[in-house]
Amino acid sequence: METAAEQIPLEHFLFAAGVLFSIGVYGVLSRRNAVLILMSVELMLNAVAVNFVAFAVYTDGALFRGLIFAVFVIIIAAAEVGLALGIILRVFRNRATANVDEVSQLKW
Amino acid sequence: MTVANLVFYLIAALAIVAALGVVTVPNVVHAALFLILSLLAVAGFYILLSNEFLAIVQVLIYAGAVATIIIFGLMLTRGTDLPTVSVGGQWPLALLASGAFGGAVAAAVIDSTWPRDVGEVTLVSINDIGAVLFKDWLLPFEIVSVVLLVALIGAIVISTQEEGEA
Amino acid sequence: MEQAWLLPAIPAGAFVVLALLNGYLPRRGDFIAIGAIAASFVLFFAVAIDLLDQLPGELEHNTSGFDWLTINGIQLLGQTNDFVLRIGFRVDQLTLVMLAVVTFIGLMVQVYSLGYMKGEVRYGWYYAVLSLFLASMLTLVLADNFLLLYIVWEGVGICSFLLIGHYFERRSAAEAAKKAFVTTRLGDVALLIGIILLWREAGTFDMSEIFHMAEAGEFDQGYLTMATLFLFGGAAGKSAQFPFHVWLPDAMEGPTPVSALIHAATMVVAGVYLVARVMPLFEASYDGALYVVLAIGLITTFISAFMGLVMTDIKRVVAYSTLNSLGLMMVALGFGEAGVGAAMLYLFSHAFFKALLFLACGSVIHATEKQEVTALGGLGRKMPITRATFLVGAMAMAGLVPLSGFFAKDEILVAAEHFSYAPFILILATLPITAMYMVRVYLLTFSGEPKDAHAHEHAHESAPLMSWPLVLLAGLAAVAGLVVFEPIGKAIGLESGFLGFVESVLVEEVHAFEFNWPVAILSSLLVGGGLGAGVMIWGGEAAPATAAAARFPAVHRLLLNKFYVDAFYQWAINNVVLGFAKVIAFFDRAVVNDTGVNGSGEVTNGLGFLLKFQQTGKLPNYALAMVLGVAVLAIVGFSVKG
Repeated sequence: METAAEQIPLEHFLFAAGVLFSIGVYGVLSRRNAVLILMSVELMLNAVAVNFVAFAVYTDGALFRGLIFAVFVIIIAAAEVGLALGIILRVFRNRATANVDEVSQLKW
Repeated sequence: MTVANLVFYLIAALAIVAALGVVTVPNVVHAALFLILSLLAVAGFYILLSNEFLAIVQVLIYAGAVATIIIFGLMLTRGTDLPTVSVGGQWPLALLASGAFGGAVAAAVIDSTWPRDVGEVTLVSINDIGAVLFKDWLLPFEIVSVVLLVALIGAIVISTQEEGEA
Repeated sequence: MEQAWLLPAIPAGAFVVLALLNGYLPRRGDFIAIGAIAASFVLFFAVAIDLLDQLPGELEHNTSGFDWLTINGIQLLGQTNDFVLRIGFRVDQLTLVMLAVVTFIGLMVQVYSLGYMKGEVRYGWYYAVLSLFLASMLTLVLADNFLLLYIVWEGVGICSFLLIGHYFERRSAAEAAKKAFVTTRLGDVALLIGIILLWREAGTFDMSEIFHMAEAGEFDQGYLTMATLFLFGGAAGKSAQFPFHVWLPDAMEGPTPVSALIHAATMVVAGVYLVARVMPLFEASYDGALYVVLAIGLITTFISAFMGLVMTDIKRVVAYSTLNSLGLMMVALGFGEAGVGAAMLYLFSHAFFKALLFLACGSVIHATEKQEVTALGGLGRKMPITRATFLVGAMAMAGLVPLSGFFAKDEILVAAEHFSYAPFILILATLPITAMYMVRVYLLTFSGEPKDAHAHEHAHESAPLMSWPLVLLAGLAAVAGLVVFEPIGKAIGLESGFLGFVESVLVEEVHAFEFNWPVAILSSLLVGGGLGAGVMIWGGEAAPATAAAARFPAVHRLLLNKFYVDAFYQWAINNVVLGFAKVIAFFDRAVVNDTGVNGSGEVTNGLGFLLKFQQTGKLPNYALAMVLGVAVLAIVGFSVKG
């Protein structure tokens, strides 16, 4: 049986992950709501995981280290989301806003 | 164009469109829904790569738990933040930066020569993953567990409402 | 004679003691200073006896000293030489004359100061600096190499500065001290250049070696002439020759004993001594060098004679008479080797009568607290000793026979006659003028009616401490000229007369002294005429004098303003020096300070101000910066690699 991976070149996956990552970067830089920035970060992490897995499947078959790494990425992402949301909630409680443009105490 | 390719393009298009939606739509809940769509598409990627385990993990944890908690966060931080303008003032530069970065990545991908194992894609079964995870990667596994614990405690501590706080 | 170094060493030691301890000693230690110079005076006799015993042969054992600092291989303008600073002393005939003058006058002045400076401010320091001056001056005449000479040359300049400015609380005194120092400094620079030029060619600072080289013709004549003229520049500065003469009249701001010692008898004649000492170099140079000396001397003696006719401060008049004498000495030296004897004779006798004149002025000032002739007059009755000694000094200065000044002036005239007629006539012309102004100042001070009754009331004869030096000096001023005669010279131990004694330094064959009757009679006539004219003009009510001043107001003003030389110098300083200083100040303020120092600070400040806008405090901005940075790095990495 032929797997799908044998028919699809590696570069396709890498391109797709790259595009996803760039979109995530754009979202982090341009969105104003803190939670939306968090969501963009999740996009980026996803793209990273796809990259790892693609490499693991195509180049690291026996050891599939990328696969394990992708598992860890997912776990850490989950933990990070929880904490980040806690912080955002805290900030929201203090300042009644989730708009990162308004949290600028470190301005000159 | 084989079927596999076609499927790949469809899933990739879906993932990318959904990601675009995350970063552009004004309504935050819509953005969250788009995120879920994108995450599911990524799960599709995993299946294409014959990693069913990871696809299931992705769906369960990401599209399930993480997306849900994000939506919770959105709800809890809705104040008078009715979105009128959803992107900040620096979106041209952001476009430039992300475009440049993306371009660099694309150039790297094109330029490099990748090892290509044709016909030697190893199918990894869940038995193998489990075995490796608990033998070679035991230490990281345990550490990640601790990290989860710490994050859990941290999140509770941070977001606990104290007496007298609004 | 090998112990001749003791002569300056003892006063130097006295200076150290007095400078440090004068506050704790009884009477502020003046006896230490007097004891030191007295010891030097006694030692002078020992040195003199030793030297005179050895003549007329070659002098032996007359040097001592040690090499203090040696640096090998100094390169200057293409020549490489060794630099040796030698503290060396050498006694010869020229030195002996100077030693006599310096030690004796130094002793007289210090004894006189016991009375004059009693109770004055900084009494101990005064004696300390006097001792230092005597030590420096003695070293100057004993020095056997140019470098040591230059060091103590500056030393006497410093002491002069300190002593002129003794009453520095008075603005005019401080200004005068500064003026003296700066003016002589210009000469000192020339002296230093001359010394270095000589060292560069000769490879040594030693005087006898350089003289031998010059006589042997080892120097390029043009180069030697240039170096010698530079040396003369130093002499001109120190001896207040035109155009450096401006500091000497102002130096009268110092205490009168200081004027007597430094600005009459010793320091100002250092230039004359220097020219006499380096006469071998002048003889080996082009004739033009000596002509320069002659011309400058003539100018100096002429302008000072005329200026002495109108000055009203008695010390100023005596100062101008000093200028007159110094010019005359330079003129004598301008005649070359033949004039050295005459110049030294004049130096010798001038020391006595000029110091006498100054000390007598001091006596008047001490008694009446006044210096201007407009406030004096008729003091002859109240101060007989001062009057008599002043008269002797004034007549010696005028050149009245048989006082010392007469013989000295005559010898210069004889040398002039041998040389050429033009200087001879010119010097003869100054004789009556000198006589006139000396008579003028005597009459206006001691005769006639007192012009200030209050001062006249105060006048009293001075204490013995001040009077005895006057009498001694008067006696010497009267008879010192007689040493030219060979019998008298032999009586005091000289081989021949005084002139022959001095000339034996330079020439082998010394011709015997002949008294030149025609010149003597001519000069006596002129002096007598001047004295008579002076009595007529300024005697009694001095009516002819005031009439003359009224008839020639422009001339009178010209003389009073010292030929406007001072005014010219001040104009030059204001416009040239200060103008240049303004340019420099502008550069310092605008370029260095505002642009360089402040400017760099301002630029940094401005940059910092601009950069701070980068810290917006907003998270997205920082994230953008990070991503842009990574993107740039990636692109750069690709272009470099690709």
